[in-house]
Amino acid sequence: MVTVTINVNGEKRTASVPPETTLLRLLRDDFNLTGSKLGCDVGDCGACTVIVDGKAVNSCLMLAAQADGRDVLTIEGLATMDRLHPIQKAFEKYASLQCGFCGPGVIMSAKALLDENPDPTVQEIRDALGGNLCRCTGYVKMIEAIQDAARILRDEPVEINR
Amino acid sequence: MDKKPTVAEKVSPLKTVQETPSVLREPVIAPLVTYPIEVVVPEVRQQTPAVGQRATRLDGHLHGLGQTRYIDDLSFPGMLYAKIKRAGVASARIKSIDTKEAEAMQGVMAVVTGKDVPCNSFGPSLKDQPVLAYERVFHAGDGVAAVAAVTEQIAAEALEKIKVDYEVLTPVLDPLESLKLETPGVHAPSANIYQSKIIKKGDIEKGFAASDHIIEGHFRTQMVEHVPLEPHATIAMWDPNGRVTIYSTLGRITLGRADVARTLGIPVSRIRIVATIVGGNFGGKNEITTEPVLALLSKKTGRPVKSVFTRPDEFIASTTRHPLIMDYKTGVTKDGKIQARKIRLVLDGGAYCSWSETTLGKACILSAGPYNIDNLYAEAYVVYTNKTMTGAMRGFGAPQVCFAYESHMDDIAALLNMDPLDIRLINVFSEGSLSPTGQTLQSVAIKESLLQAAKRFGWNGKGSADAGANLLAEENANTNMVRA
Ligand code: FES
Ligand code: FES
Repeated sequence: MVTVTINVNGEKRTASVPPETTLLRLLRDDFNLTGSKLGCDVGDCGACTVIVDGKAVNSCLMLAAQADGRDVLTIEGLATMDRLHPIQKAFEKYASLQCGFCGPGVIMSAKALLDENPDPTVQEIRDALGGNLCRCTGYVKMIEAIQDAARILRDEPVEINR
Repeated sequence: MDKKPTVAEKVSPLKTVQETPSVLREPVIAPLVTYPIEVVVPEVRQQTPAVGQRATRLDGHLHGLGQTRYIDDLSFPGMLYAKIKRAGVASARIKSIDTKEAEAMQGVMAVVTGKDVPCNSFGPSLKDQPVLAYERVFHAGDGVAAVAAVTEQIAAEALEKIKVDYEVLTPVLDPLESLKLETPGVHAPSANIYQSKIIKKGDIEKGFAASDHIIEGHFRTQMVEHVPLEPHATIAMWDPNGRVTIYSTLGRITLGRADVARTLGIPVSRIRIVATIVGGNFGGKNEITTEPVLALLSKKTGRPVKSVFTRPDEFIASTTRHPLIMDYKTGVTKDGKIQARKIRLVLDGGAYCSWSETTLGKACILSAGPYNIDNLYAEAYVVYTNKTMTGAMRGFGAPQVCFAYESHMDDIAALLNMDPLDIRLINVFSEGSLSPTGQTLQSVAIKESLLQAAKRFGWNGKGSADAGANLLAEENANTNMVRA
């Protein structure tokens, strides 16, 4: 067993887990943060994407112990009680998710992108979503939503384009 | 009014009942009423107000928050984790399964094999699929044993401790091979061809005789997995009253209940299936998979049991799209009118029937394409092979045949040196056309759609370039349709 302490969504949490436990399992099974999903467990689908120290990572590929002492942001840490994050709002508005299983991962990838690059081009958004697979919706509406969220985060007026 | 009832009044209802002639006490059966059946059929091409509206998904909010609960996000006190051991061999006789070592492992709570399943067969049409393979393995993804353990890790380790002794048999892998009568039956004594359909219309020999050209085309499509982002997942809870509650990613729960009842040998009324939000189905979650196994593990342990398919499980042990081998032969006049078409479809059904019946029917009916063909002969066969089973997937066979007949049309156009658009415009269905199976078609707007599409993406194919424009003008004059 290893003891892991991470700063998750702004809160220090500790758990004692078998050494082979991935960060994804730690979040889901020990911290009950089930927003991050397990789609493949081998780093192909991006459903498990979370942000570790500002970078989007596949939490199924990171051992819990590797995250020890680091800052982890999951989908649950994005909204506050009274306010959705602009990306979440835009995803809702643009109906960017159908079954929703890929959603938390996609949104976290988008968040990591917008934190680093507030005004990404469509190509840059595509690149940022390169590791996230969606089988239902496709990516067009997601890209629209991310552009919309980026404008809001930059404090630009947003016009609804349809 | 507020007079208290006397004793005599109180007994009187009873007396009345006793004194009533017995025939009047028979249960009353309401006379059969035939309702006037008035079905409101909307006007052909009538637009409903829903078209063109923007609608926001009601579940989008929770999806975006990561608060939607899929099955793997649920857990119950004392819950165990199950894993299924896959055969890994396409065709074999199981000589023995030794689970002793796995059962002895610390943390392993139960192991089940095919012999523990009360009725080891199910399927949406033919009941040819075992819950867990027993005696025979029909494809590499067949489950041969299942383990429930306190952690997923222990369950996975226990699978490796299960020893299965196989007598490996020669698998049938090629559907054309399987079609031959001399090929040994995958499910002997049953024949390898397990469903077929033939559609005949007119006289193809006459049609071919009246043609200037006869063109053949051969097409194949591959097996496709649905790859829903959420793998198949189940939680089963057997309660002490002999009822079982199953949380499942299953899309068709009514059908699923019947299959679970059959395999477990208990009445449908004892089975409750809770369908949760599903992370993608696409036809791949239309039938039960491991639900009965989980129910048995839960019965054996008295605890809730969860299992989630691994991604490899998803590929080898769930249904896939049928690969099709499609042979086309079409007779056309030199100006592009189709006179006759002959089609043979061979569907690779994999190891079990699943939704092959539906797929075969739909593929066959649609195989001629949306074209007026007076002389048609289409035959379709689905055969067993020792491969992952094929079943429902978006379109039930329609995309495969569409690929074939449209490619074939392009080949015909090339041979006749015609614009691929024109050859379609000459032959496509119009209002009132008869489908290959004799159905009168309504709301047919193929021509308009083709022309609109050609206009919008600026099609300028070779051949008679204004055929399209003329037809568009003609169509607009002939119909009162309003199109943007
Ligand atoms: S679950 Fe981590 S990438 Fe698929
Ligand atoms: S919405 Fe279903 S996978 Fe993306």
